[in-house]
Amino acid sequence: MSEVRTLIVDDSSVMRKIVERSLRQAGLDELVVYEASSGSEGLALLKVQQVDLILTDINMPAMDGLEFIRLVRAQNLAPGIPVVMITTESSMEYVQQAIVAGAQSYIRKPFTAEQVKERVLPLLHAA
Amino acid sequence: MLLNGVRKAAIAVGSGKIDAFLAKRTSPAYAYPHTDEEITLQVYAEADGAGDMDLESTMKCSLRESVHLIFDPRNLDVSVEEVFRLMLGVNCRRYTGPAEAAEAESVTAVVGFGGLLGGACVFRSGISAAKKIVAHMTGMEFEEVDDTVKDGIGEICNMLAGAWKSKVPDLAANCCLSIPAVITGRDYTIHVQAPEFKLHHTFKLDDTSFEVTIICDSLQ
Repeated sequence: MSEVRTLIVDDSSVMRKIVERSLRQAGLDELVVYEASSGSEGLALLKVQQVDLILTDINMPAMDGLEFIRLVRAQNLAPGIPVVMITTESSMEYVQQAIVAGAQSYIRKPFTAEQVKERVLPLLHAA
Repeated sequence: MLLNGVRKAAIAVGSGKIDAFLAKRTSPAYAYPHTDEEITLQVYAEADGAGDMDLESTMKCSLRESVHLIFDPRNLDVSVEEVFRLMLGVNCRRYTGPAEAAEAESVTAVVGFGGLLGGACVFRSGISAAKKIVAHMTGMEFEEVDDTVKDGIGEICNMLAGAWKSKVPDLAANCCLSIPAVITGRDYTIHVQAPEFKLHHTFKLDDTSFEVTIICDSLQ
């Protein structure tokens, strides 16, 4: 797979590193990662940088992941770009809210690299 | 009510249906944004396909019927083992032996529960265990409890809380988590006044140990 520019939004720097490592283990060798520690930082980055994939945590202070996804879609900052939410929440309601907001898939924490691969690669192939 | 409708269907479908529900949305044919109504209809369709479930009876205003599951101590052990195996690639085990001497300096992370269950998930360890755990998570070595260690322990606690509540479907759907808070230092105690119930387990990771406590101070 060619270069995949990926935005990872998570208030935890440890989780951002783990997500990046999982993406590489999933086979995305040509990964270019942009990190944002908040939704607003992610929005600012998307205004100046095109990406191919967005992964965002949901439970973040100030602007949560759902609001971030809504604003990405409302401001058309990443048209057609898949958004995957990463969350400890497993209920259908959270998934439904994220889909309504504009996410395409979710990864529940804790996760394996194999689960990341199953969720992310089909989206990249379909995009 | 649309929101109640979604909730009923969501609970009826259960987490096992989420994969199928989302798989259909990996298709580029799906346009954004989806409306609440579209999603609701889709969720109901999934519920219909799941069998003859009584949607009315699945709406939960109380967790009292799930108390035996919520109190089940095995759920905590399974959750801890799952988080450590998947995120750290290590096996930890429940320790039920005599209490060991604790390190003077410790790290505590707290994630609150809100909704039909109020309380908290509390992780506590000495600094050696905390540094070891975050070293496993990140592949880095730590000489002190810096911001990365605190961040990593907060995330561990967050995942433990999420994994524990996901073991009980009604709890997963009706209880949310707070942002983690992390405390470090010596000679401090966490006091909770007369919780409704408490699970307190100690685990071993190599030669170090850590404690995970589930505190429930309100259950509707």
